[in-house]
Formats: sequence, structure tokens, C-alpha cells
Amino acid sequence: MPQADIGERLRTLPAGSAVAVKLDAREYADHYFAVLNATLRDLGSETGVHTIYVAVTSPAAFVWSLAQALDVPADRISFVDAISHLMMRFSDALPNATYVESPRALEEIMLRIEYLLRRFPHPRSVVVIDSVNSLAIHNPPELLSEFLHILINNLKGRQALTLVLETSDEQAASVEQLLNLVVDETIDVARLGR
Amino acid sequence: MPSSPGTDPAANPPAGEGYSGSVQIERCSTGIEALDAILYGGIPRGNMILIAGSVGTGKTTLGLEFLIRGAERGERSLFLSVTEAKDKLVQNVSSFEFFRRELLDNGSLVMVDLPVIAAKLGFDRDELSHEDIDLLLRAIREIVTSLGVRRLVLDSITSLGYRIARDEQIRDFLLRLGETLSEANCTSLIVSEISPEPGRYSTRGVEEAIVDGIILLRNTQRLGDILRVLQVVKMRGTPHSRALYVLELTPIGILLAPHLKGGRAVTE
Repeated sequence: MPQADIGERLRTLPAGSAVAVKLDAREYADHYFAVLNATLRDLGSETGVHTIYVAVTSPAAFVWSLAQALDVPADRISFVDAISHLMMRFSDALPNATYVESPRALEEIMLRIEYLLRRFPHPRSVVVIDSVNSLAIHNPPELLSEFLHILINNLKGRQALTLVLETSDEQAASVEQLLNLVVDETIDVARLGR
Repeated sequence: MPSSPGTDPAANPPAGEGYSGSVQIERCSTGIEALDAILYGGIPRGNMILIAGSVGTGKTTLGLEFLIRGAERGERSLFLSVTEAKDKLVQNVSSFEFFRRELLDNGSLVMVDLPVIAAKLGFDRDELSHEDIDLLLRAIREIVTSLGVRRLVLDSITSLGYRIARDEQIRDFLLRLGETLSEANCTSLIVSEISPEPGRYSTRGVEEAIVDGIILLRNTQRLGDILRVLQVVKMRGTPHSRALYVLELTPIGILLAPHLKGGRAVTE
């Protein structure tokens, strides 16, 4: 059961860890839902942490609808939505989301995370970046490397647990290399399920 | 995220402070955490700083936060407004979560409309004479000393400058204002409105030579997106980062993050 295994791995990580969570493109929906279950529901309900979810792949409204299905309380999750503006989806604005105009405004994403960390202080917050592949579509590799390096180091300093979602496919080799430089470990969801 | 500044080591040369045996100076914390870090702890106390920027870059907001944070620390803070009415300013600061109305009520934060002072002094001409400027400076000095003001924001020197005909009069006004404020150990921010073109810090070009420091706010473009950035161009009496920082105006105050370069020159 990948969800239980993911949860177990996350619980044993030291404070301030940064983890790449690799989802298999062929089983994306199952893997993604298992990760949401393990992080938003299980980890959240056990520790009462506040999760900051950076939505770049799908709009926050979509992720929030999944979180609601998992009974995640609204006060335990905030979104930094960097994709809705680009998709002209302004009407879906959530009260627990802050909107960045573009996934290329990487500094603004950093600042919104910082804002939410200050707004909802917790000794061990969780920050989910969904996903590095989506960020790579919109940003040159050098800029993305710099962003991840600064962001993850800052989050480490704040003892936050950072999960960077990554979809493995043939095109993602450079992204994976980049990610390996900045994370402490990788959770390969496909391997956990075996 | 507001990080320790100086992601670019070349932009952050050690000078003065930081060497063993260097003289410790009294600093005025801006209360904006990341800006204080950029300034190695804050603005040297009593300095006069130009806040230069084009429209909508956050100059007034920066000035207001500087004053509110100071008032919270027990430093009497004065906002001298040339263009915006006091009521509108109060409305603006109310959006800050850290603002308490009590600061205005107990006189820790004082807002004064400069045109009101000018009217009381009987200035009825569009253009201020040498004597008018003298009277205005005396009035400001009187307010600063009688109230024990430790922080002052003048918003803006550009608007005031429209009523001052000659460059040397502006120069003289700022020199004397700087002397007055320095004697009172009052740290000040002088707001300057500039056009978006690079390389200028004031409309007349005289202010930047007189002030102790320049903080530049401007918009920059990267891959089609506009980013609001801050740079400390000059700050007498302290080392400081000269790097660019992206600035965000939030309900909990101004937040800064290093401007990412991605290993190449930024497209302006």
C-alpha cells in the first residue's frame, strides 16, 4: 500500500528534510492520490501541521476538491496557486489560496510561501511543490535550479518538511538530475508499491 | 523568501563593519526584517535616505511600515505628506495587520499634511520663495524637536519640488533638513518619484548627492513577467548588499526574496 509506506517514510525523516517524491507517469492518478492521502490527510491529522501546497500542475481549486474528499480541514492547508492566472481561471478563487500570476514568477512563489509560514507558524510545517516538471515547463533550468536551491535551503532553516513532486518519464532526466542536487532523499512511489 | 541577503558574494563586499575592531554604530532598524539584513542591521541612526521609485513600486508603503514599526518600538514617528490626505493614509495603513489605531491616538505615529502647514504659514503662492522655504524648515524643525520625533518620512520631495523653482533651493532645503534631523538623531526617508528609466534617483537630479543613502524601487521584466525589485544603491556609514531583491507588499508587511538570475544577465 504506497500510501502507508509514504506516510511511514515521511514520519521518520528528520526536521528540515527535503524529499523528491517520484510518481510514475503511467500510474500517475493512483500515485498522486496516495501522496495526497499520506501528506494532507495522514501526516496532517497526526501532527496538526499546516501544509502549504504550491499548485503549478493543477489549479488549487482542483487540489482542494481532492483534499475535501479526504476530509482535510480548510485551516490545515493553504495554497500558493501559480497556474490559475495563466489558465484564466479567476472565478475559482479560494479563501485559503494566494494567487501568483505566473509560474515564472519564482521569487513571488518564494515570498508567498514565506508569507504563509509566518501566517501559520508551526514547528514543523510541510511544503508541497507540485510539481518540478510543471515548473520546468515554464522556467529555464538555470533559473529553476537557483530557485530550488534557495527555497529548499530556506525551508531547511525553518525546519519545514519539503516535498517536491516529480513525474518520472523519459523527458524528465534533466529535472531529476537537478532535483538530486538539492533534496536529501527520493521516495519512488512505484518502488514502494512493489 | 526573505533569506540572508547576499546570494551574490560579489554584491556583498565586506567593508568597515565585519572587520575585527571596527566601530559599532547606532542603527535604526527599519522593522522590515530582510531590509535590516541587507543593511547589516538597519539604517545608521540620523541618516537621511532617499526612497526613489516609479509609480506603484511601494515607496509610500515602505515609508509607512518604517514608521509604524518604529512607533511600535516607542520611537515617535512622523509622516509628512505633500500629496495624500491624512484620512486616506490612515485608510491605507489600516490594511496592515500589524497596525494599531492606538499608535495614532496616543501620538506615537503622527501624520501631518504639509499643505495644511503651508496654508497656516500663509503661503499663498504656487512657487515657494526663499523665505517660505525658511519658514517651512523652521516649522518642521519645531515639530520634530517639540515632539521628539525619531523617525520621519517626507512623501514626496518630488511633489514639494514642484513648488520650488531652482535646483539650488531644493539642494539647500534638503541640506538644512538633513542637518536638523541629524541633530535631532532622527532617521528619515525622503520619497522621490522618478520615471521608470534607469540611472535616475530624482526628478531634478540634486537630491541623490545630498542624502546619506538611496534605496531604489523599480519594476523589472523577466520572460514577460513584471517583478517589483528593491536595491540599496548607497548607504553611508555601513556596508550593505547591492544585490536586487524582489519585493512583495503583504498584510504582514514587506517581504523580500533574492532576485534570481539563472546564471545569466537579467532582461530589463
